[in-house]
Amino acid sequence: MNRDDRGTERRRRFTAVCEALHPDLLRFAFWLGRDRQLAEDVVQEALLRAWKSFDALAEEGKVKSWLLTIVRREFARSFERKRLEVADLDVLVAAEADVLAADDDAALAEMREALFRLDDDYREPLVLQVMMGYSTKEIAEHMGLQQGAVLTRLFRARARLRQELGIAVEASP
Amino acid sequence: MMNCLEFRRRVGAEPAISGDEIDAHRGDCPACARHQDELRAMDAMIGRAFVVDTTRIRKPRAVVAPATGRRWLAMAASIVIGVSVGIALWVSSPRASLAREVIGHVASETHAMISTTPIAPEELAGVLDPEGTKLRPGIGDVSFAARCVFAGNVVPHLVVRMPRGPVTVLLLRHRNVDGPVRLEEQGYVGVVLPAPRGSIAIVGRDQKDLDGIAQQVFEAVDWGG
Repeated sequence: MNRDDRGTERRRRFTAVCEALHPDLLRFAFWLGRDRQLAEDVVQEALLRAWKSFDALAEEGKVKSWLLTIVRREFARSFERKRLEVADLDVLVAAEADVLAADDDAALAEMREALFRLDDDYREPLVLQVMMGYSTKEIAEHMGLQQGAVLTRLFRARARLRQELGIAVEASP
Repeated sequence: MMNCLEFRRRVGAEPAISGDEIDAHRGDCPACARHQDELRAMDAMIGRAFVVDTTRIRKPRAVVAPATGRRWLAMAASIVIGVSVGIALWVSSPRASLAREVIGHVASETHAMISTTPIAPEELAGVLDPEGTKLRPGIGDVSFAARCVFAGNVVPHLVVRMPRGPVTVLLLRHRNVDGPVRLEEQGYVGVVLPAPRGSIAIVGRDQKDLDGIAQQVFEAVDWGG
């Protein structure tokens, strides 16, 4: 395989990966930052970084966690760069109302809003566990936390959601 | 032997968890079993809630979102580069330039092809109304619609789900062509046709019956008065 062929093959593989994972990356970034514009910017920048270091990816089976890590780092950079302030939650919810809307499913829309109002520390492990299918060990590695801390955050995340949705709440561990 | 407190602490963090201890406690304590079932049901709802429609996340770049400093720089740089490269290509070969621009835009927006969910009619209208155009029903579901920057102009970008696969449509009101311009690059095939207002680019992956597909799309566009 000559250099041009290798380049074409690299581009083809990367495009295939991006096409498959782009929606999940976008959703992950959206739930991290609760801002659609930020999510789009973060994923775009993350994919540029990923393209530059695509050859360093040793196992293609780990491409999803590799990309999620890049998105998380890029989000942290963007957050720092733009010095985002914690906005009024009602304003945030209103700004993203059409993304949070669930046609004809009030319970789903209510859950989205409750998730939106969850603290960042609780929302991220929940996204990784429920949407991405990560184990608590993988979440701990991804977030640089002890596994026990992840378990506590996940417990509290669900307790907060139950509280927000008016369901009886368990005592905190 | 696991007690209720320990059980609830475990399932509160991992509702899907199972195992000998968990199962044994479930068997002994109906209230805890019910609690875990409720948490599992809530997780199913959480999972559905996280899956928001990504086409709603992705706002059209040029129209809706105000450019931040860095974004503006990037946009300005891309326009400068685009204009420079565009002029060079246009001078050398207008048709080749147009083909590259169209394919380049489609290739850079591959995410537009991913969703298969039809968008709401009002979302489509929001993209087409500023052009005074409409899409007649029957051509296929529209799974993506946005107003994109193309060669310095804002143009409607649609993805229509047709029997042979998704087809990208760009309404290029600002670009006139004398006759059909064939496109074939990077695995994409397509054609740019003269239209009542400017031109229309139709791009897909399948070259079989491209002309027939292009004709169908062309006829489905109501160009207005």
